[in-house]
Amino acid sequence: MIEVRGLTKRYGDILAVDDLSFDVEPGKVTGFLGPNGAGKSTTMRMMLGLDRPTSGQALINGRPFATFAEPLREAGALLDPSFMHPGRTGRNHLRIAAKTNGIPMRRVQEVIEQAGLAGASGRPVRGYSLGMRQRLGIAAALLGEPRVLLFDEPINGLDLDGVLWIRDLLRQLADEGRTVLVSSHLMSEVQQTADRLLVIGRGRLIADATTQDILNGLGNRQVRVRTPQPDLMFSRLTEQGLTVERVDPHELKVGNSTAEDIGNLAHTLNVAVHHLSEVHQSLEDAYLELTNGSVEHHSRKDMP
Amino acid sequence: MTATTIAPDPDDLRPNVSLGQTFARTCAAEWTRLWSVKATWWFLAAAAFVMLGLGTIAGFESAARPAELPSQPAWTEVRFIALPAQIALFGLAAISVTADYATGGIVAALQWTPRRTVLLFARLLVTVATATGAGVVLAVMAALTAFATANSALTLQFNEFPGFVGTVAVVFAAGATIAAGVGFVLRNTAGALVSLFVLMLVLPQVLRQFGTFASAIAEILPGSGTIFLITRQVPGMTTASSVAVLFAWGIGALLLGWLRLQRTDAHR
Repeated sequence: MIEVRGLTKRYGDILAVDDLSFDVEPGKVTGFLGPNGAGKSTTMRMMLGLDRPTSGQALINGRPFATFAEPLREAGALLDPSFMHPGRTGRNHLRIAAKTNGIPMRRVQEVIEQAGLAGASGRPVRGYSLGMRQRLGIAAALLGEPRVLLFDEPINGLDLDGVLWIRDLLRQLADEGRTVLVSSHLMSEVQQTADRLLVIGRGRLIADATTQDILNGLGNRQVRVRTPQPDLMFSRLTEQGLTVERVDPHELKVGNSTAEDIGNLAHTLNVAVHHLSEVHQSLEDAYLELTNGSVEHHSRKDMP
Repeated sequence: MTATTIAPDPDDLRPNVSLGQTFARTCAAEWTRLWSVKATWWFLAAAAFVMLGLGTIAGFESAARPAELPSQPAWTEVRFIALPAQIALFGLAAISVTADYATGGIVAALQWTPRRTVLLFARLLVTVATATGAGVVLAVMAALTAFATANSALTLQFNEFPGFVGTVAVVFAAGATIAAGVGFVLRNTAGALVSLFVLMLVLPQVLRQFGTFASAIAEILPGSGTIFLITRQVPGMTTASSVAVLFAWGIGALLLGWLRLQRTDAHR
């Protein structure tokens, strides 16, 4: 269980994280989404006691992470996979981690094999690809079999085999009752793996809901209706207080409604309906809608 | 701003691990961390090359002296070699701290040992013990090398041995502590090495070329302490003042390093 209350981080004039409060529950994969610079990594570092909050608190399993005598048994984390000594072998990297927490050396071999690094663990990390470093970081996170796992962009650099492995691993960890928090920019991946989503922008919490709720527009269901009498439909729907948008000459998009309601209304009005469907948006659409205005770093599309 | 407080979950299932156990485990991990990179071996090889090489030269120099001159203890004859060799061992102490900042390894280190004071003292203990142990062993080996090549011009009088070992140990322990402290303060390898070179070798000798005020400043630099303890030839310094200066610099560097580690973000 991760509890975050009023977490704030300020760097001089820059407010990186602004009064964040949320819980990450066990038994679920929770996706942590936000544009670049939104404060995801800073928040994760504060959860692990690596960065000092300006105010607020983050608790792992009921206590500040820095108070644990055996922290690897409480929470494992993959942050930046480049944060390793390039001259040290993967196996020694894990041996050091194991020694700090009194973890038996046989567990080092287990996680090496679990991460698919058996052939490379004796080589210096400088020879590892990004994907191999990700696997080594994940192996270190799993070392203490912790109840809480935090992964910052775990899929970066992984090949298809690695992506499938991490997808299954996240689900398995959550099914075992562990708390799993995963930040990612890959919407399709998050849509497949996360049960719940936390969306932040400019350091503030924008949404905290199940993935399905966010895909459904956080309760703002929309219905597309195509009819040969759009003007009549438009006026009757507007009279009922619904938000109606004209998509093209014969098609309307109705907010806060269901296909059943619109179908019933058309039947009452004796209006023909050629198409009627609820709008299913992708997580990418939902994310862009949620984070609109919260993007810190905009790119510019130059006109020819 | 006020911090929100969350009531902690009681959990009696966690094993009771004492602070001493945590410290011992962290020391074991630091030992592996130190010896699992090539840089450690390179610094030790450099120190060995300088000390054994100069020990051999000192032995041949002694052998070339007129036979009627009395034999000198080998310990006294080679004590000066700690001066050039100290930079290699202090460099080892500094880089054992700064390498973690250069590579980002401090992020992993503080995830595994989030009690920062424990990490600082474990790293300090392992580093200083290694630099001091290596310095003493290499100094003794250098004296034996000098004795072997001196053709009876040097002796191995045991009554001089404890003083020799003690002096070398104090010099390397104090210098390594200062080096580790500077590493924690600066978090930068080049900056730490240059600072050590200037504080230990350059400024103590250059400032003495100027007036009284500059000489007074030189007397409170750590390099003056080590130079006096090794050569016994620094005007105005005594054994007590040298030890006091080294002690003060060691404590001061450690305190500043601890404050920076304790109060700031892990990797900034």
